[in-house]
Formats: sequence, C-alpha cells, structure tokens
Amino acid sequence: MNMIEVRHLEKRFGDKVVLNDLSFAVAPGEVYGLLGPNGSGKTTTINILADLLSADAGEAWIQGEPISEKSKYALGIAPQMISIYRDLTCEENLRFFARLYNLPAPRVEERIRELIAMFRLEDYRATEVAKLSGGWKRRVNMAVALVHRPSVLILDEPTAGLDVSARFELWELIEALQKTGVAMLLTTHLLEEAERLCSRIGILSRGRIVAEGTMDELRATIVARQLAIVETAAEERLQQAAASLGWTWRRRGDRIILWLPEEMTLQEFVQRFVDIPLKSVALQEVTLEHIYLEHTGSYEVPDLAMV
Amino acid sequence: MVVRYGQILAVTTRILTELWRTRRSLIFWMVFPTLMLLLFGLIYAGGSSTATSFDLTAPGVLIGAALFFSCLGGPISVIVAERERGTLRRLLLSPLQPSAYFLGIVLAYVCIALAQTVIVYGISFAFGGRFHGSVLLGLAIVLLSVFSFVGLGFFFGARFTRRTEDVNGPVAAFGVPLLVLGGTFFPVSILPPFLLTLAYLDPIFHMNQSLKAVSGLGYTAAQVSSHLIFLVAFAAVSMALGVSSYQRMLEQEKRA
Repeated sequence: MNMIEVRHLEKRFGDKVVLNDLSFAVAPGEVYGLLGPNGSGKTTTINILADLLSADAGEAWIQGEPISEKSKYALGIAPQMISIYRDLTCEENLRFFARLYNLPAPRVEERIRELIAMFRLEDYRATEVAKLSGGWKRRVNMAVALVHRPSVLILDEPTAGLDVSARFELWELIEALQKTGVAMLLTTHLLEEAERLCSRIGILSRGRIVAEGTMDELRATIVARQLAIVETAAEERLQQAAASLGWTWRRRGDRIILWLPEEMTLQEFVQRFVDIPLKSVALQEVTLEHIYLEHTGSYEVPDLAMV
Repeated sequence: MVVRYGQILAVTTRILTELWRTRRSLIFWMVFPTLMLLLFGLIYAGGSSTATSFDLTAPGVLIGAALFFSCLGGPISVIVAERERGTLRRLLLSPLQPSAYFLGIVLAYVCIALAQTVIVYGISFAFGGRFHGSVLLGLAIVLLSVFSFVGLGFFFGARFTRRTEDVNGPVAAFGVPLLVLGGTFFPVSILPPFLLTLAYLDPIFHMNQSLKAVSGLGYTAAQVSSHLIFLVAFAAVSMALGVSSYQRMLEQEKRA
C-alpha cells in the first residue's frame, strides 16, 4: 500500500490550470522529492493532501484512505514558513500541538521526550522559540509535525533560509527519520538537497509530472554521458559543429551546453573544435540541475531551422 | 459533534502562557483600570463619601477600562498574530475543531476578566467600597460583557485587521466613542436627551448601568431586567457574528 497516492488530480483557479492530470505515489519509508519552479503546483498539491483544498477532478489517498479529516492523524506537515509560537518554549510548543491531537497526557510527555532527544533539543527545551537561531527554529518546526507519530510527513522546503552547517544537520535528521519508516514528500528548490535525500524524484511543470524516477532513471532521460559547458564568441559555428556531430545543445544565459554521447577528456573535446575560438570549457557530470532545467523547459532549445 | 475539552484547554493554556510570557498586555490590562479607578474614585469622592464613590466607580472602570481593552483588543491581537505568523494555517492542518479554538479563546479571556474583576473590586474594597447586590448576578453581567466583547473582537479581528498595526484602529474608532456614550467614566445623567436616547443602543451603556445598579445600589435581576435582556441578545448576536466571521476567515486562509 502506498502511503501517498495521487491519481489524475486536476485543479483550476479561474481560467488558470494549476494541476493537470497529476499522478504520483510515495511508498512506505520512501522520500519522494517533488521539484518544480514557483507556480508549478507544489503548494496546491500539498494543500489538497492536507485537506485545505479540494481537487476539481482526480483522487488522493493518505495511507490508503481518501483525504478526509481523519487523514490529519496520519499526516504531519512541516510548513515552509516557521509556524510555531515564538513566545512558548520548545517543549510548550510540542505539548500544545500534541494536545490538539487528543493524545492522553502520559503519551504526550513520552512523545515530547522522544522528540527532544531525536532533534537534540535537550539544551533548548525550556527556551522560548523567539530566542532560538533559524536552524533550531526549523528543528522545532519539524518536530511539531511529528508530535502525533504520523506515518506520512510532508516537508515543504525544510531548509529554506538556513546556513550550510544548519542545513547539513537538518539533512542528517531527515535521513535518521527516513530510517524510522516514515514516508516523506519533500519539496525543495535546492537540487543538491533533493539529490542527497530523495529516493525518487518527480519533476513538476505546469501542474503535471514531466519526469519521475530515481536519480539513475532521471539521468537516463537525458541522452548524454557528460556535459560540456562552453563560452564562445562563435556560437553559431559551435552549434553547427555540434549538429554535424549529432550532439544536442542547449543555451543557458551566455553559455552553450553540449550533450556529449560519451565521456571524454577536455583535450579530446577541444580537439573536435580546433577551428572554433573557445573562451572557456568545463566538462561536467549530468546532475539533477541539468535534468531539472531540461524538463521544466528552462533551457533555450535550438531552433530546428538554425541547426 | 464531540466537544474536545482537551483542545479547548490547550488553546486557553497557550494564550494565557503567551500573555504571561510577554507580560506587556497583562500589565496594561491591570495597571490601566487600577489607575482609572483610583483617579475617578478620588475625583467623585469630592461630592460624596469615598466608599460611595468607589461603589459607583468600580463597575464603570471594570467594564470600560478593564474588560473592554482586554476582551475586545485581546482576541483581535490573537487572531492577527496567528495569521501573521502562519500558525493559523498550521492549526488548520491539525484536527483542532474550529469551535474548540473559539471556546478556548473565550475561556482565556473569561479567566483574564475574572482576574481584572478581583483586582478592581479588591481596590474598591480597600477604599471602603462594597458589592451591595447579588455577586452571582454581578458575575453574570461580567460574563455577558466578556462574551459581547470577545465576539466583537473576533468580528473585527477576522474581518478588518490583517496586520498588528491595524489592531488599534477598530478599537479606537468603534470602541472609544461607545465607552464615552455608555457612561463609563461619568454619569449618563449629564448627557443631553438625544444622546441619552442614542446611549440606549450602546451595549456598554447597558453593561455599565446594570453592573452599577447591582453592585453599587443592590438592585435585583428584576430591577435590571431590561438591561439584562439587551445584554443577552447583544452577547448572542456578537458571538454569532464572531463565529461566522471566524469561519469565513478560516475558509479564506485555506485558499491563501
């Protein structure tokens, strides 16, 4: 049984189609990354799963049950905005939210102890949230989402605004959480974060999943073993040369990105373009960034007449 | 629908803890009525005995300088803060019943109102004032006043205020003229006839007059029945307005 299942969801706001036949599923213990540019439908999807919005068409299930008031007990959500009470201490925030789930008092206290230990909040348990740094606030924000032991957790940009070290610490916590078997849906604009944490990734564009799978499966959607990122004043000649080799190219800003069908050294690459003055060349592995830009239509794609 | 007492108490405890932690509002809500009572008690003592002066001043000060600011301004601040800080949205993600949230806030302000009542009457008693009528009837008037103010607080908070800076606007614009017209700080007998007629439409007038009559003059429920009927009706309308405004706000928040 999938912990989250979304089938053919559709949602419109007026004339604007926000979700367009959106389908995906998250298995137990899986971290599923939902990536997409702003306005691609991530927040609307979360709002439907959270029972804040209803879909115009399609269905969604949490833990095998259609979305309802009851699914709030199976679902924990750590919102992107730190949404906890700043004048309450960490412990008081956890206790308040636990009581909203109607947990009996001994279980509330037991769960608070567990979460304080899990999120290493021992030194700050009696500290008011307003006095904590951004990283610690994010921890409390996430701990609150787990207070009722949900089997499904939605993390909406969990490390937004954090410095590198706080981000790494939170990643470790998410990895530890994954080991407990909680299924997670993670949205992020940090592709490094998605690559590190997610077992599968769905790339959302204009309200539908345009690519989905593990990192290896996603890499296979781009016919390239390696990428060459080139700066040159002779762009047209470079494009023509690449086309004659049967290589695909894309433009991003003032750089041309060539998809290399085989791995090669810098020297081997340069030898193929000896007649073209190249300002700079960098060879790169195919990363999630390139896959994302390709599938979300963020690259400038060659005009066929020009090639 | 099952009433979730645990949720109601959780909301009440949270609000009281936050108020205790920040203290600024609590101090204002205690110091302002204390100073007003001492000031007006001593001013009116010039024309009669100190005890009589405090007998008749305490009810107006309790309604106008204490309950009005805490129970009207307080819920507005709570709602605005919840929206600004994103916690309202988080509450929507939880199984918290809207009615439990509403009742939790009402209960928190009932607790604050009772503390203010104890302080105002404590000071009045220290200056020789007494509570001449039925304490239970007096408490009923205080509770009706709290329900009226909290309901209006929800109404203004949910409909007209989106930011913390907006909180004082509705309180000053709608509330202070009603306080003056309601005879909070001086006897309504000095009002010109047309203003006195208008005062009969002011809920604060009925709160003041009924509490003054019961507390200062020992009147019975039958003797203040017209005020009580008005207050019961107004409290019901105010709570209904508050509930509907709150529900509308929740629907807007879901779509935000």
